[in-house]
Amino acid sequence: MARAGRSTLNFAGALLALLFVLVLGVMHGPTPIPFHTVVDRLVHPNQGLTSVIIWDIRLPQIVAAALVGGGLAVAGAVMQALLKNPLADPYIVGASAGAGLGATLAQELVPLLNMMAPGAFLGALAAVLLSYLLSRGRGTTSMLTLILAGYAVGVILTSVTTFLMLMNREDLSTIFAWEVGGIDGVNWTQVAVSAGLMIIALIVIWPFATDMNALLLGEEQAHHLGIPVRRVQFILLIAASLLTAAAVYISGLIGFVGLVIPHIVRRLNGPNHRQLLPLAFLVGGMFLGLAELLAESIPVIGPIPAGLVTAFLGGPYFLYLLVKQNQRKGGFA
Amino acid sequence: MEQPMVTMANVAYTWPGGTRTLGPLSATIASGHFVGLIGPNGAGKSTLLKLIAAFWALDAGQILVDGESVSRLSAPERAKLIAFVPQTLDTQFDLTVKEVIELGGINRRSWRDRWAFQGALLAERLDALLATTELTELKERPFNTLSGGEAKRTLLAAALAQEAPVLLLDEPTAHLDPGHALKFLNLVRHMVDTQKTTVLMAYHDLATVGLYVDTLWVMDQSQLVLQGPPDEVLKNPAIQQIYDARLLEISHPRAGRSMLIFP
Repeated sequence: MARAGRSTLNFAGALLALLFVLVLGVMHGPTPIPFHTVVDRLVHPNQGLTSVIIWDIRLPQIVAAALVGGGLAVAGAVMQALLKNPLADPYIVGASAGAGLGATLAQELVPLLNMMAPGAFLGALAAVLLSYLLSRGRGTTSMLTLILAGYAVGVILTSVTTFLMLMNREDLSTIFAWEVGGIDGVNWTQVAVSAGLMIIALIVIWPFATDMNALLLGEEQAHHLGIPVRRVQFILLIAASLLTAAAVYISGLIGFVGLVIPHIVRRLNGPNHRQLLPLAFLVGGMFLGLAELLAESIPVIGPIPAGLVTAFLGGPYFLYLLVKQNQRKGGFA
Repeated sequence: MEQPMVTMANVAYTWPGGTRTLGPLSATIASGHFVGLIGPNGAGKSTLLKLIAAFWALDAGQILVDGESVSRLSAPERAKLIAFVPQTLDTQFDLTVKEVIELGGINRRSWRDRWAFQGALLAERLDALLATTELTELKERPFNTLSGGEAKRTLLAAALAQEAPVLLLDEPTAHLDPGHALKFLNLVRHMVDTQKTTVLMAYHDLATVGLYVDTLWVMDQSQLVLQGPPDEVLKNPAIQQIYDARLLEISHPRAGRSMLIFP
C-alpha cells in the first residue's frame, strides 16, 4: 500500500473538511445565516445583529471547538507514541482527574469568581507532574510505571472530587455538567488564551515528530538511534499535558477525540508523526466542530454537551476498530 | 601503534537483583576488524553489546569507542559512533521500511531538519541503502508485515544509515533461513572490507562463524574466557567444556577454515 502521493491528498481533504465545518458552524444555529451573508459579514464586520451573532457567538464557538478537537487529537497521538500504547488517550496519566479536582476546588473555594476553567487547567498539569514524579526511579522513568502511577493518582483525586461534590450538593449539577465537556458560551479571550498555550505546546512538540517515530520501535532502539530517550519522553509528556490542559480550559473533559482521531489518521495515512501530528490536528478539529454542530441540532430541552456526542459517536467507532483489528490478526494500526 | 576502535578496561556490570556480575573484563577491537562473540545462552553476550552501546550503565571500568568514553557522549554523538542491530523488534505501529531506515539519519539532523516535513536522510542515500540491502521493492511496505529476513535487512539498513564506524550485531541471523543468513553475513563482511567498519557480532552458529570473522571471543558465565583467531579458538578443547557438548571440528572443504559441527 503506497502512501507517498496519498498524504498530500489527505492534507488537502482534511483542510477542506475543516474549513467546511467552520463555515457550516457559522451558518448553522437557531437563526440560520446564508452563506453569502456569512462571507459578507466576515469581510465587512459591524453590521448589526447578524455581525454580532457571527463574530461574538458562532465564530468563537466553532473556532474553540476546532482548537479543542485538534489539540486533544495531537495530545492523544503524542501520548500513544510515548507510552507505545495505541489505547492511550490525553487523560491517561491523571490529567482528567486533576482537571476535575481543580475545577471542583475552584467552584467550592471561590464560587463567585467562576474560576473552574483556570482551576481545571492547573489541576490537569499538576496531576500529570505528580504522576511523573511518583513514577521516577533512580534517574529513570518506566512508562509502564507512569501509567500505573497516573491511574493511582487519578483514583485518589477523583475520590477527593466526589467527596467535595457530595459535601456541597448544590454545586453537583454545575460541576457534573462541566465534567461532561462542552463548548458553550465561549468568548474570544478564552479562545486566545487557549490558542496561545496550544501554540507553545505545538512548537515544543513538532521538532520531536521523528523522535516519536523512533519511540514506536521501543525505548532501546530509540536509544541506539541516538535519541536521549528519558529527556525526550519528559519534554513530550509535559508538552502534551499542556496541550490537554489548554483544551480542558475551554471545554471541560471531552472524551474519545484524543483516542479515536489518531487511530483514524493512522489508518488513512500511516503512523509517521511528521504527517500524523498535523493531520490529527485538522481531523480532530473537524470532528469536534461537527460534534458541536450535532449537539446544537438535537431537538431536546436545553443544549446537549459536545462531549456527550463525541462519546456517543467515538465509542462505537472504537469498538468497530477493535473488532476489525482482531479479524485482521495483527497489531493496531 | 594505531589506537583500537573499541577499548574495554576492567568493565563490570551487576544485573538488577545483585546476584550476577559480568566481568571485570578487558579487551580491545582494532579498527576495521570483524569480531565474533560466541558462548552458551546466558553467557552475557547481549549484555556486553548493550554495555558498549551505553544502554545500560557500567558499575566499574570504562568503555572507549574511537577514544571517547561512551557513557559521557550525548545520545546523537554516541549514535554517530555506534550502530546497533537488535535481535528482534516488534512494534504495534506499522511504519514503512523507508520510514524505519530514515530513523538512522536522526543522529546527524540539524535543527532545520527537525522543523522540516521531510526525513533527515537524503533521498540518494536512502536509495543506495535500499539497493545494498535489496529492499527497494519493499520500501513502502509496513515494517510489521515483513518476513524475518526482510525485517533484519531493514534494521541493518537503518544501522548503516547511521554511518557509524562501529556496528554491533546481536545474533543477526537468528530465525533466518540459510539463504538469507548467507546474504546477511556477506553484506556485513562487505562493509568491513570496503568501509573499514568495526563489527562485534554475537552469534550462535559455530559452523559458519569462523568463515566470516577475523577474531573470535568466547564468553562463559559472564566472563570473557577465550579470544584469538577463529581457527585457534574453535580447535581449543575448552570450547567443548564451555558448551558441554562433544562437537566435531572439521575444515571447510573450500575455505580450509575451522568449523564446529554436530558429531
